[in-house]
Amino acid sequence: MSPVEIVLVYQSLLGIYGDRGNAMVLRQRLAWRGIDAVLTEVEPGDTVPSTGAVYLLGGGEDAAQVSAVKGLRADGHIFDAVERGSVLFAVCAGYQIVGNTFTVGEHDDVIEGLCLLDVTTRRGSERAVGEILSHWTKPDDTESLVTGFENHGGFTTLGPKATPLARVEIGIGNANDGTEGAVQGKVIGTYPHGPVLARNPELADHLLELALDRELGPLPRPELDELRRQRVAAVRKAGLRR
Amino acid sequence: MPSNLTDPAAPAVLPRSARARLLAATWLGNAVALASRLAGKGSGASIRGQVLTWLAPEAFAQLLQGRRVLAVSGTNGKTTTTHLLAAAIRAGLGSQADRLVTNADGANLHYGIASALSQRPKADIAVLETDERVVSDMIAHARPELLVLLNFSRDQLDRHHEIKSLGRSWRVALERAGQAGPTIVANACDPLVVWSAGTAARVVWVETATIWNADGALCPACGTILRRTPSGHGQRWDCPGCELRQPEAGYRVDGADIVLPDGGRVHPDLQVPGSFNVSNAACALAAALEFGVDVETALAGMHTVTAPAGRFATASFGSTTARLLLAKNPAGWAEALPLAASDPVILAIDSAAADGKDVSWLWDVPYEQLAGRTVICSGPRAQDLAVRLSYAGVDHEIEPDLGAALGERKAAVDVIATYTPFQALLKMAGLR
Ligand SMILES: [Zn+2]
Repeated sequence: MSPVEIVLVYQSLLGIYGDRGNAMVLRQRLAWRGIDAVLTEVEPGDTVPSTGAVYLLGGGEDAAQVSAVKGLRADGHIFDAVERGSVLFAVCAGYQIVGNTFTVGEHDDVIEGLCLLDVTTRRGSERAVGEILSHWTKPDDTESLVTGFENHGGFTTLGPKATPLARVEIGIGNANDGTEGAVQGKVIGTYPHGPVLARNPELADHLLELALDRELGPLPRPELDELRRQRVAAVRKAGLRR
Repeated sequence: MPSNLTDPAAPAVLPRSARARLLAATWLGNAVALASRLAGKGSGASIRGQVLTWLAPEAFAQLLQGRRVLAVSGTNGKTTTTHLLAAAIRAGLGSQADRLVTNADGANLHYGIASALSQRPKADIAVLETDERVVSDMIAHARPELLVLLNFSRDQLDRHHEIKSLGRSWRVALERAGQAGPTIVANACDPLVVWSAGTAARVVWVETATIWNADGALCPACGTILRRTPSGHGQRWDCPGCELRQPEAGYRVDGADIVLPDGGRVHPDLQVPGSFNVSNAACALAAALEFGVDVETALAGMHTVTAPAGRFATASFGSTTARLLLAKNPAGWAEALPLAASDPVILAIDSAAADGKDVSWLWDVPYEQLAGRTVICSGPRAQDLAVRLSYAGVDHEIEPDLGAALGERKAAVDVIATYTPFQALLKMAGLR
């Protein structure tokens, strides 16, 4: 069997919040299970492979978002990959650019996104900066807490083809409307950035299971449980003061 | 044209009412600072400045007036560079070294600067570490003769969302200052620095040995992806979309040496470690020479700098000897990690306001290079570091308490810490 390919897209543009971490987590969780995995990093100008199992987009500044959309459109392979059923996990600015439109700059110029997720982003009434805690309903209908850190100025609203990823307990999320992230087929967008998969191993494994189309089984790591316990306690303590 | 080192300046004589208010504010500030010191809460410099600027809001501008000001800014290395530059100029001043005032403790916001200046009303030469956010005010109020711009990288994105907007504020301030503006000594390898200095009347470029360029993918002027091409010593950058390109530098770092504009080569013989400090020294040397200090004297002065504001200090904690390294952001960690050679090595992480509340940057730091050694994860965010190290395949232990992490060790240990735990370590060691 050929190795599972994780594709980390345009880190020089979309990687300012430790977003590389999500790729490290996915690859390592496969390796810990004895599944062969390879990490492919592509930069603007490189050809994006259409063979990836999971594609990752991270956070970045306005000009970088515009540049990334341009590069991915010109290359085109990411569309083939999604069509073929690959998983696309897009975080923060990456979440915004996979949507229909988003805005950049002081004059809120409207930019067309990749239109892979039916969401629209406009400048929000406030900047969302801080720890965020949300509730994600897993495919088996049980619930898992998602802990992360959000930092975004855009508010995102969902169109009819997308459904929210999670319900916000503390934080802003999509548009301070109680929803967080969006899912459409195997395209998933979310605001908590950087190593969101490091703090949320169940979400990481969900992406891998979607990509491999099979169950992976648990991978007990007490250290991760403790990190989750600490972060959830911290955001709930701070959240009460908000 | 270098300025004359010995030219005296006269700190402004203020109207009597302003003078009285400043004096009262300084007196009260000193009293509060003393109380803070006695309570064991650090040097009191910042609280003094806060009281001072609260009672005399104009203090920052008033205290700067009439002095000859050299300012140092940038994301990383400004404290060390300020110390190197101050030492070079003190050496140049010789017996008149007490004409120089500096904010040696690294308090680099409006009130920290006001605090330092208030303690030395007659010192007519000020070498001031200046936070990136204060640079435009410094240009407007202090009319500095020289402004050293070291580098620009991601730092505390939970507070400043776009580093580019800071650079834009520098451009505006320099444009307003026009011909009367400062001579800039700037890092030619950093595209954002080059763009930010683009409106200055005069720039002395320094080619440094920058190892971090993950924050400079796009042209700050036009948004095109920058091109980096290998050249004799490292690489050069230029923009395919506009005229912005790496300027030809007068000063150049070459390994452990600095090449001067006349082609001469000097070895700075520093007591602070790391190649990034050679780059800092090159910028300090260029500024000192511009200010009229001669090369030999400047180098002799810089040689005396050992542990600026505690950085790189070797300190005792009970029976444990530890060398203290500060790293505040991914670029700083990339520089500090190769210096920390001990096994085990202690890494201390916090996420207080001064550290940045978001620790996602942990995933941008190449901790993989520590594989084969044991890391002791410390500080309030030790658990986040531990998970990062697990994924990096680095052996580690978790001891959030700094004192316990230091323990009682026979062999010297290196500690790299973010801002808040670093300050705590200095206090534990009696260094502040
Ligand atoms: Zn350009």
